[in-house]
Amino acid sequence: MSLPITQPASGPRPGLLSRARWQGAGAALRSPAALSLLPLGLILALFFILPIAGMAVIALSVEAEDGSTTIGLDHFMALTGGSHSQAIVNSLQVSLVGSAVASVVGALTAFCISHIRSKKLDSVVAVFSSVLANDGGAPLAFSFIVTLGNAGVIYAALNLSAIGFSLYSWQGLVVMYQYFLIPTMVMVTLPTFMGIRKEWREANAVLGGSAPTFWLRVGLPIAAPALLGGWILCFGAAFATHASAAVLIGAGGFPLIPLNISSLLGQSPASQPIAMALGITMVVIAVVVLIVFNRLQRRTARWVG
Amino acid sequence: MGRLRFANWVPVLAVALYVTIPVLCSIYYAVFPGGSFSLGAYSVITEDASLAAAASRTFLITGLTIVVLVATLVPALVAVHLWAPKLRPVLEILCTLPLVVPPIAIAAGVVALLRWGAQQGRGSMASQISQFLQNPDLPLILVGTYVVLCLPFTFRSIDAGLRTIPLKAMVEGSAVLGSSTWGTIWRVVIPNIRGSMLFSVFFATALCFGEFSLAATLGQQTVPVWLYDVSSNNFRASIAIAVLLNLTTWALLFVATLSADRFSPAGRAARAERALQKSSQKAAA
Repeated sequence: MSLPITQPASGPRPGLLSRARWQGAGAALRSPAALSLLPLGLILALFFILPIAGMAVIALSVEAEDGSTTIGLDHFMALTGGSHSQAIVNSLQVSLVGSAVASVVGALTAFCISHIRSKKLDSVVAVFSSVLANDGGAPLAFSFIVTLGNAGVIYAALNLSAIGFSLYSWQGLVVMYQYFLIPTMVMVTLPTFMGIRKEWREANAVLGGSAPTFWLRVGLPIAAPALLGGWILCFGAAFATHASAAVLIGAGGFPLIPLNISSLLGQSPASQPIAMALGITMVVIAVVVLIVFNRLQRRTARWVG
Repeated sequence: MGRLRFANWVPVLAVALYVTIPVLCSIYYAVFPGGSFSLGAYSVITEDASLAAAASRTFLITGLTIVVLVATLVPALVAVHLWAPKLRPVLEILCTLPLVVPPIAIAAGVVALLRWGAQQGRGSMASQISQFLQNPDLPLILVGTYVVLCLPFTFRSIDAGLRTIPLKAMVEGSAVLGSSTWGTIWRVVIPNIRGSMLFSVFFATALCFGEFSLAATLGQQTVPVWLYDVSSNNFRASIAIAVLLNLTTWALLFVATLSADRFSPAGRAARAERALQKSSQKAAA
């Protein structure tokens, strides 16, 4: 029996890197396909692989006093302390809290939408969530400044200064990021919640189960891969956000990895290797999170199967 | 049961409010300065030459990005589907990887390479390439990197489009009728994947209009970078333009989503079913 589980749109699928596939790929390279693949390959090599490799080389090479260069982790050591370690902690905190809040709110919203069962609402939500999931950037931050900033319309109306809320803090960032994180979560989990059939609930009831048993034993296990997948996407999106954070926080107010990288790049050439080390750290964190989540997701998927 | 039904709407309405209020507030701030309606903030469009320059630069980059994206991705994917299905997973990994790498990290890597090129001495090949790619009139470095940023999404869309059509049969059939492979692709395959193509075009446009990290780091004044620079001394103008930019990118993404949906097999099937229902209702009446 195949359950109507929709996998989230992103993240590599299991087994992509098996040996046999690579060998097959080698044989395929000698076909006319090679010529058609060349332009795209060139773009990827020039504008993606080469910059990342160059970044790694600069981050890892250490210049000795006599002018010779060796491989070392000196530039990464420069990250253990001060503004940069604070930036790493802050980025992780904002992304973790932001993605957790978005996962709960987004999943709950998707769940409710699936319960309302209105075809019109479903299609409106599908389009809007995919549009908003790609939102972000400078305009987003501007709209939040005029809404929740110190002179913002809602800020004044609700007297938010009384509870000590400030948009220009990590809580503010979390609130702002929800704008594209919640729609991302809704987009990923809605198809799964829609796929939970009425018959399964009826079968559960006939067998003497209550609503909590249904959700614990059937509903959540089915939804788990989509929930985790949505969480990965949200974490990655929050972690990579630069423009809206830059507009809101500016330089120095609240260190985040992207903000530190861009300010380091604007400084003297001497600080450039540290920016590269920070960039590599960012890529490594993102990749590790993706792999861990992907493992978890596969485990829950297997458990369901 | 009635109360439960209402409870279902609460989170949906709350999220809808959360999403709408900032937009309304920015529109209000932009066109109701001091409580009365005025489009004064938009006079910056005609008065500020730097905005016009930034806008034309953004349009140029967007146009080139779309051309390069479509011209490299479509042949590559058609080739993989036709002749080298085993290469597809490799291509998928390569095209999806940019999703994992934050744009600011790509920007850092690009800066490193361009500086390295510039340091190779005046007149050297590497220094000339570095100069050429960063030309403020035509920043090709942004075109290349924007294509890479678009790939994770557009790869999936075009790949899915090609999967739903009998590509091999089309090419073989038209070869029998005397057409060349690329002629077939131009006249038969592309019209059949236009939903995916439209999605890619609109998605790429929205991305190019909004991208900030790379343009700002590489010192290229595109519209988002202009917004950021202007916000410190003319906040109302930056809000006014931000509203315009945001509504434009939303409209583009809206069309992208609809076109991906409209031309997909599932979308077609749903429309066919609706049409059938309508005609059967009419027949019954």
